[in-house]
Parts: sequence; C-alpha cells; structure tokens
Amino acid sequence: MQQREAPDALAVFRVCVGACVVGSLLSVILSGLVPVIWFGSEDGGYQDLRANSWLVLLMDWTSPAQVQRLVWAGVFGGCFMVVGLGGRFTALWTLLAFQGVSDINPQSGGSYDYLIDNALWLLVLGGGSQTLSLDCRIRRGCWRSSESISAWPRWLVLYQLVLVYFSTGLHKLSDHWTPAGGFSALYYTLQQPSWHRADMSWLAHVYPLTQTMTAGTWIFELTAPVLLLVLYWRGQGDRATGLARRVNRWNLRGVWVAFGVSLHLGILVAMEVGPFSWISLSYYVALFRGEEWAKCLDRVRLPGSRLVP
Amino acid sequence: MKLTAHFKAALIALHLVAITLQAMPAPVGAMRKAEWKDATVQDELAVWTHRLNGWGVSWTQQELEDHAWTVAGKWLATRRTVLEPFAPYYRYCGTHQSWRMFVAPHRYPSRLHIDIRTGSEWTPVYVGRDPELDWHAGWLDHDRMRSVVFRFGWKSYRRSYRQFADFMAGHAAVEFPDATHVRLRMYKQRTPSPEEVRLGELPEGKFHSVRVLPLEPIRERTP
Repeated sequence: MQQREAPDALAVFRVCVGACVVGSLLSVILSGLVPVIWFGSEDGGYQDLRANSWLVLLMDWTSPAQVQRLVWAGVFGGCFMVVGLGGRFTALWTLLAFQGVSDINPQSGGSYDYLIDNALWLLVLGGGSQTLSLDCRIRRGCWRSSESISAWPRWLVLYQLVLVYFSTGLHKLSDHWTPAGGFSALYYTLQQPSWHRADMSWLAHVYPLTQTMTAGTWIFELTAPVLLLVLYWRGQGDRATGLARRVNRWNLRGVWVAFGVSLHLGILVAMEVGPFSWISLSYYVALFRGEEWAKCLDRVRLPGSRLVP
Repeated sequence: MKLTAHFKAALIALHLVAITLQAMPAPVGAMRKAEWKDATVQDELAVWTHRLNGWGVSWTQQELEDHAWTVAGKWLATRRTVLEPFAPYYRYCGTHQSWRMFVAPHRYPSRLHIDIRTGSEWTPVYVGRDPELDWHAGWLDHDRMRSVVFRFGWKSYRRSYRQFADFMAGHAAVEFPDATHVRLRMYKQRTPSPEEVRLGELPEGKFHSVRVLPLEPIRERTP
C-alpha cells in the first residue's frame, strides 16, 4: 500500500483502454449493428429484448434514440479517456455507458466486454490521468508529470490479468487440452467457423505446431499466478535474497511477455473475437513499472512534454 | 492517515476476494439438460468415461453424466450462496468475472445457411465464412453477431433463432423482391481430425433448425 511509483504506467493503460472502448463501439456503429443487436424487434432488432442492463432499466432508456445516445456517450467517454480529460469521472461515465449498452443483449458479447468493464472500474479506482493527459496540461501547463502515485492500482490491473489466465486455465477440463487428448484443443478451436477468420484446415499439415501451442497455452495459463511472485521479487531488486535472487537472474518477465504477446497476436490474426486481444494486451502495460514507462516515454518528444515534478 | 490506509487496504482485499471467488471454475450457463445431449458434450463424457474406467472407476457414461450433473448443481448452489453478498459489486461496478473461454473445442459446430426461393429453385445467399455467399456478411460476420449465431447451434436458443429468422425474412422480403420464400438452416458437421483432412476424408454433416418463411405476407404487412 505504501509503494509509490511514476504515474506513466497507469496513464498508458488509460489510453489503451479508452482506445479499446472507442474501437469496440465504433465497429458496431460502422457495421450498422446497433439497431440489430441493441434495439427490440419492434424497432429493427433481431429479437425481443428484455432489458438486462441495470442502467437502462433504472433510467428506462429503452427507446432507440436513448440507446443511440448511450452508445455515443461511450464513444465520447472513450475519447476523453484517450486524451485524459476528466480523470476518474470520465472513467466512471465510460463504464456506465459501455456496460449499459453491452449488457442490453448478453447474447451479443464476449469476455472482452468483461475485460473492458473491469479495466474501466480499475481506472475509476486508480485514476490514470495524472500524466500524459489534458488534465495534466490544464493543471500544470504540460502533458507529463513525474508526481508519484500509489502502485496498488497497477498491481490490481496485474492481478486481474493473472486471474483471467488462471481462471480460464482451470476451466479447461476438456480432454483435448491434456496430453491424453493429444493437445488437440487449439487445432479444433481454430476449425470452428464461428470464430476463425478464414478456413484453417491447412493446420492439419502442421498439426504438431498446434499441439505445441496448445500445451504452451495451457501451461502459460495455469502458471500465471507465478508471475505475481516473479514481479514482486523483481521489484525487490538488490534487496532480494535466496530463491528470489536466483530467479531475478533470469528475465522471466520478458519470456512471459513474449509468449503472451505472441499468443494474443496469433489470436488476432487467426480469429475474429472482437477487441479481446487488444484489451488483453492493454493489461500488459501493467507488467512494467511507472518508471520504466516514464523512461520509454522520455524518448518520445511530445510538444510541451517536459516533465514537471 | 493510518486509518485511511487500513480502510483502503481492507477495501482492496475485499475486491480481491470478490473477483477471485467469482473467477473460480463453475459450469455457469451450462446446466441445461438438452445441451448435455449435444454431440460435443456426449463425446467429452465418452472420453472421460473411458479414462475413468482405465483408472478403475467402473461407471457407465450415463452414470458419469448423472454424477457430473448432481455435483455441478450442488457446486453452483453453494457458489450462488457464497457470491450473493458480492452480487451488487459485480453488477454495478463492472467487476464480473467470466473467463470460460474455449474451455472445450466444439467438435460439432454449426454454420448458418440462408437461401431464397424464386420459382422452384433455392439459391443460397449467405453461408457463414463463405467469401462469395456474403449477403449481409458486413454485420453477420461481426464478432458480436458471430456470438449470437454461435448460440443458434444450441437448442436452448430456439426462441431467439426463430425471431432471428423472422428478422432476416424481413430483410429478404425487401432486398429480393422476386423471392417467394427464405430458408434459414444450421449445418452441423463433425470437425474432421487432422488425419481425416490429410486423407481428404471429410465427414458428412446435416442440417438442423430449418426455418422456411413465406415473404409475401411480410411484404403485405410492410407499408
């Protein structure tokens, strides 16, 4: 709780999450899907809708015009988050709007909605516009600040990422995910027309590759909690002793990031699962401390980007 | 200051407990008997029955299914009780944890087919993931619609599927003025194994959930 760090990691996370919200909602708007999935059948939707969204129920926002306004409220909220205007209030606004629309029709969503919702809530709790934001520009006259913030919001983001992987790994009880099932899960998943971008039958000719990826994914997910320990030890730096010191000699974080990024890029290329890979990769921002992001951003010359303490 | 820090720490701890508990494995949304009869689920049960028999547990497949159903039901009931105090936190703060992603590959997936009839001939206009039969693929192939159409392969979404068929018929009535009927079907096929693909031995599938809707009544109703 006492640990403090530079605000840059949370700020980059905020920008990424805002972009994911904008991208997710705009893709629905631009493909003409808003009336189809979020209006009732009497207004052009494909089915009768019983409102599931607590906000829509509470405000009785069931008319098409009101749903459209909620969608655009989410888009603008996401934009404000990208530029860093409004701090926690904007994150809350965006959460209410995004959750409001995505909950209207539970059939038309996926786990990416929950990843986005959770990210937005963590930004309500943690802020994220202390730097790299219009808020900072208005308060201090420049885009960046080195004023330290508590580290616990970033650790909550990390915990959420680890929990997603660990939970999904524990759920994988199908024989196909195990050695007994020949590690065949990824091969068969990629054949499903619901999710793949194009015919993937060619994978039959490189089946050992999918078997290796299946085993790797399963192990990666089930061992995700170890990452928290690795990062904690890494944070101890020279103070680490014993096993922690020995583990710190290896760049396990780098290995983990490399595998995870490859996994999500692979999903992005082979499958159509919405903003899942983008929002998942947004959580990876938290794998690097505020100071590490600050060093990285120092190399990028933004107008008026001198650091203000 | 110290009290604030302790209070904050307690709230954070509660948050961690709430999300961890909900993220723990549970067959949420899977307790529908009709869906347990799906070929994919039956295949999984068959494999696990065989495995358990090899480990000395002499259950039949039906016994394994019955035991799994009972245990799953009790587990979900206990889970509901444990999570109840946190329910408002999940609902209002967007902290739902639902990470049952590709937990078992669907070995018998279904693919949506839409055809229109002019005269006595049926002409396909949409087949899922077909680059040429792409009527309204702009939004049918969007990830949010894929999620909807995926569910139509399961019996418990029949009502929704019927409404979807009516919806597509409305579009067909306008966009194919010469068509007399529209037909929606789901083609269910066992995913071939890698060996079957390499040998060119692809299993036959079959259509289910066939909905044939006349278009003239729709045109008469529509101003």
